Amino acid sequence: MQRQESRGVTGYFYYPIILLLLFLIAVSAVYSVSIGQVHIPFGKSMNILLHVLTNGKLGSSSAVGNESYFNIIYQIRMPRVIFALLIGIGLSLCGTVMQAVVQNPLADPYIIGISSGASLGATVAILIGFGSSALFANFGVAFGAFAGAVVTSAAVLLLSSIGGKATSVKLVLSGVVVGAFCSSLSSLVIYFANNAEGVQQVAFWSMGSLAPSSWEKVPILAIVVLLGSGIFLFQHRVLNTMLLGDESAVTLGINLSVFRKTYMVLAALITGTMVAYSGTIGFVGLIVPHICRGLFGADHRRLMPATLLLGGLFLIWADILSRILIPNVDLPIGIITSVIGSPLFIYMIVKKGYNFGG
Amino acid sequence: MELAAKELHVRRGKKEIIKNASVFVKNKQFVGLIGPNGCGKSTLLKSIYKSLTPQSGSVFLNDLDVLKSSEKKVSQRLGVVGQFNEMSFDLTVEQMVLLGRTPHKKLLEPDQSDDYEIVEEALRRTRLQDYRSRSYQSLSGGEKQRVILARTIAQQPQLMILDEPTNHLDIRYQFEILSCVKQLGISVLAALHDLELAVMYCDYIYAVKDGEIYAHGKPEDVLTPETVEALYQIKCQTFINPVTKHIGFAYGI
Repeated sequence: MQRQESRGVTGYFYYPIILLLLFLIAVSAVYSVSIGQVHIPFGKSMNILLHVLTNGKLGSSSAVGNESYFNIIYQIRMPRVIFALLIGIGLSLCGTVMQAVVQNPLADPYIIGISSGASLGATVAILIGFGSSALFANFGVAFGAFAGAVVTSAAVLLLSSIGGKATSVKLVLSGVVVGAFCSSLSSLVIYFANNAEGVQQVAFWSMGSLAPSSWEKVPILAIVVLLGSGIFLFQHRVLNTMLLGDESAVTLGINLSVFRKTYMVLAALITGTMVAYSGTIGFVGLIVPHICRGLFGADHRRLMPATLLLGGLFLIWADILSRILIPNVDLPIGIITSVIGSPLFIYMIVKKGYNFGG
Repeated sequence: MELAAKELHVRRGKKEIIKNASVFVKNKQFVGLIGPNGCGKSTLLKSIYKSLTPQSGSVFLNDLDVLKSSEKKVSQRLGVVGQFNEMSFDLTVEQMVLLGRTPHKKLLEPDQSDDYEIVEEALRRTRLQDYRSRSYQSLSGGEKQRVILARTIAQQPQLMILDEPTNHLDIRYQFEILSCVKQLGISVLAALHDLELAVMYCDYIYAVKDGEIYAHGKPEDVLTPETVEALYQIKCQTFINPVTKHIGFAYGI
């Protein structure tokens, strides 16, 4: 039986586009490794990269003969690219899921108060918590942010379930309330902390940055993000049904309130982990699913893989820009994503005929 | 498939909306539910299709205890065309209709060619073949309602519940939708506003007033001037329409 694909041009070219995205990610990652504040000749970067990737069979670090080049590529840039890729994937994933969960295309991964909760956790960790001894302080911030994210999302979930089913409106409102409460607590801590350096650290943290990436942190992030993606790539049936709303979902045999809670807990855990490592990077989780809905439609079976890949690609490039835009300055990536994201978003709202995924 | 909803009580807040209502649908029977706005028709239907939990009473689809069974089990047998079908996202008509297969699918099961054939058949029955790639959001009210009907047909239910399916539709669509449902040859329970349509399509009618079943029986037995007046508080006379040979209604005389 002949089946007509649904989305015009992208309907026929869906798989080529996915392949293209994969290819672009690979190329961009390689490019990203070769650039940065320290100028390393492209040939040498490739040599080192090949050497690492093939476990010493190809390329040669000794031929390049520069230990510090090797360390920059291997210890700094490679984990950073992997971070960018994983966090881009994770943010777009959680954005798509949250948008379906609250049935609102304007939701982002932080909608249920995760960013303000994580900020509060990080603020407490930086200003009150574990002092400023380098290594431990770093761990403390990540832990504080993760704990803050998880506690706030749990609070939002509880708050929205009071008095019956957790509807999407109640979720959003609870998110706003809990978020505002956490922000005020953060302000309170900052006000009484009297610690200029710490306050600056908090500000820097909240801008979001990939600078703290390292190989030690990759495994946890990779497991969380890839496992999460693996789960949600196969939830398209429920996610699609979610778009119809509670009433229709029940008549199609799916009790949304159960799935909604499960998905939110999963998304909160993934977002919490990402926030703990890199702060809140805005707009990615909002903008990438939007663009993909415009291109591929709202059917999650097609939307999800494309969104994840585009998210990864987007963040790799945001990271590249954050490093090369101003020479010798490593801008927080959150600034870049917002600077790119907000005009893009305005454009999409203004653009005629844009109707959230059609 | 037979539906037996017995002695349902539904309370929302402190107000008792459904008081001891019982509704029965026999195999392949087209049953209408009539009554004024706010009399509890929708609430009664919702408590049957598990969107609301009644405080007491029982709902059975053949042997299946609806109130105690999972949504999935119920939705494999019972399809619903609801009143409210707007959403903030957009899907194509075909994707929308394909969602009707959801109850028959395990979580990770892909759509098979059977499913696409069923969807094709549903599109054909609702005459939506040319619409398959259209975006749902761009359709008119009547077309949207047909898509929802197609989705419910693709669900292959043995009992279909329709909650005012012809609201806001012009005459042609009203007839199309109801004729399409009638031709399915399954049990139907439909809340209807238009009494002449109810007479034309229903085998049996329940009249609801203030959350209670006010009267029930064959259309010609229930839809007397007295009952209509009591239900809608409007003067009414009935006559036999010389063209259709069905009961006609003249209001306000």
